[in-house]
Amino acid sequence: MSDDAVDVGEYEDVWVFVEEHGGEVMPVSWELLAEAAKLTETTGDDLVALAIGEGLETVADEALARGADRVLVADDPVFEPYRADPYGEQFRAMVEERKPSIVLIGGTHTGRDFAGRVAVPAHAGLTADVTELDVDDEGILQARRPAFGGDVLATILCEEHRPQMATIRPGVFEAAAPDPERVADGDVVSVDVVVDEADAISEVLEREVGDTADITEAERIVAVGRGVEGDLEPARRLAEALDAELAASRAAVDEGWVDGARQVGQTGKTVRPDLYVAVGISGAIQHVEGMNKSGTVVAINDDPNAPIFEHADYGIVGDLFEVCPALADRLEGEPIQEVTG
Amino acid sequence: MTWTIAVGVKQVPDADEVGIDPDTGRLDRASAPAVMNGPDRHALEAALTIRDQVGGEVIAMTMGPPNATSVLEEAVAMGSDDAVLISDRAFAGSDTWPTSLTLARAAEALEADVVVCGEETTDSSTGQVPPGIAAHNGWAQLTYAEAVDARPEEGRLAARRDVEGGYELVAAELPVVVAVAFGEFDPRPAPLHRKIYGENDFEPTVWDAEALGIEDEVGLDVSPTSVGRMETVDPVERKGEVVDEVDGLLEPIAEVRA
Ligand SMILES: Cc1cc2nc3c(=O)[nH]c(=O)nc-3n(C[C@H](O)[C@H](O)[C@H](O)COP(=O)(O)OP(=O)(O)OC[C@H]3O[C@@H](n4cnc5c(N)ncnc54)[C@H](O)[C@@H]3O)c2cc1C
Repeated sequence: MSDDAVDVGEYEDVWVFVEEHGGEVMPVSWELLAEAAKLTETTGDDLVALAIGEGLETVADEALARGADRVLVADDPVFEPYRADPYGEQFRAMVEERKPSIVLIGGTHTGRDFAGRVAVPAHAGLTADVTELDVDDEGILQARRPAFGGDVLATILCEEHRPQMATIRPGVFEAAAPDPERVADGDVVSVDVVVDEADAISEVLEREVGDTADITEAERIVAVGRGVEGDLEPARRLAEALDAELAASRAAVDEGWVDGARQVGQTGKTVRPDLYVAVGISGAIQHVEGMNKSGTVVAINDDPNAPIFEHADYGIVGDLFEVCPALADRLEGEPIQEVTG
Repeated sequence: MTWTIAVGVKQVPDADEVGIDPDTGRLDRASAPAVMNGPDRHALEAALTIRDQVGGEVIAMTMGPPNATSVLEEAVAMGSDDAVLISDRAFAGSDTWPTSLTLARAAEALEADVVVCGEETTDSSTGQVPPGIAAHNGWAQLTYAEAVDARPEEGRLAARRDVEGGYELVAAELPVVVAVAFGEFDPRPAPLHRKIYGENDFEPTVWDAEALGIEDEVGLDVSPTSVGRMETVDPVERKGEVVDEVDGLLEPIAEVRA
């Protein structure tokens, strides 16, 4: 037992961070709210949503509609746009004053950026990249995360420190539909803002957010990798023929061909469409982790030894610049020339 | 004014060399050779880029067993001016809380203006250590950095950050912790003479927990998290059928869409 261990009995309630930027809520927030509701059913705690930003009335109401018993709101221009230091300081002050038992944060770039600025000064346990959640009879969070390239699921515990914090991988859990009737029964609590612009140690000079597509809800996905060499046309056409969303490996995102919001994998989104078509993707473990819950997986790759074929139901060994148009033609009902792998 | 730029690097099992255990059919990490965490090479490149912009010193630091010296030799070969091995049995069982404390204290001891880290490690992949260092020291942080712009006249470092669906340009006051987006900053090759120097002549400074004044603040006891059960995950069963023609895909696709 360490010196900093706390009286765990003093801590109650499950908190969910509602991540919003300029009024737009990241979908993972609602996924967490739905999942956290299952935890509070077991523990009997209140489910508390927490929002930090500017002009949060609509966001707060939506959090109530989506299952929160109460919403804590820190509303101030200092929080818009997001910065790690003001967010971290505000969140930490709220945690230290109100003592939640469990705090769940979406594993987005923003969530992973500031979570440590809360957990470190609070000496809280912080588990990263959680894909399964549960709570035992004593209120100990069982935060499970893939380890060793997804071969093992490790349960991380935080027994003697509070809060028990975790960042959760986006797309893993299902969001609950909003129920507008819940809004009237919930409380919106405005908390003291403890942050002053004069103390900020960072400044956002420019911010440009374009594509915030949510690929996690897509029923069909065509994902491109480095193999497309910057030419998205064949994959786009295939996606259209399949009525599918376009997604990408990290390599294709890093090259700047596809926007980061569409990245699948360990450091991107977890997707589970009925159909996943991997085009020019090698099948690195970090990619596969984000798509191996898909229904049917199809791989198009010109290297017969590419690992993606081990993670696919159907594979075609061939040049994607021939296979994609040929497949699109067939799906659109046109006769084709013979194309073989 | 020139800057002191510390770079955190870690020794990990080589993910590309992890073999399959013939008895269990599962990945066997224990026998994989130890190498520098891939994303840390990009951190080194970013640190060297900052040094190119303002001048100063790049000092690699690693927390690990004595044989982790090899990743410091590599860092020196790539262009680091110096390196520190932070090694102590007392560190055993540390989760990210004491790990980031240790590196935070080392960064302070080095009087670092900037600490550069990789986005995350390939063996534990939490990404928590860079913000943890910043939090322990109350410093600014710039994670998912895709480009850096040193502004010594302002006492700030600016970075272009990847914010999922876009980017932002953020300027942070020194001292600052930077975590580099893995896909950026292609590492420069190490020149042969630096490789020879790193392997044969270079000796890192060695610090233990006491040297950093944290002997009672590290290890298992102060780590808030612990690992409970480890369950093996059954690999997802896939049909693994290779078809010769696109027509072979039509039926399975039609089934999905039905
Ligand atoms: C910390 C960390 C986190 C990461 N997170 C992620 C993540 O979230 N998501 C992710 O995807 N990756 C992630 N990665 C990167 C991952 O390890 C791989 O590097 C990446 O997935 C490779 O992308 P790729 O398959 O598109 O490219 P490559 O591996 O380069 O594969 C390209 C494939 O295209 C095929 N090809 C080339 N030309 C053609 C053609 N004309 N026709 C058909 N096929 C062709 C090739 O045979 C090859 O198999 C991460 C890595 C690290 C270290």
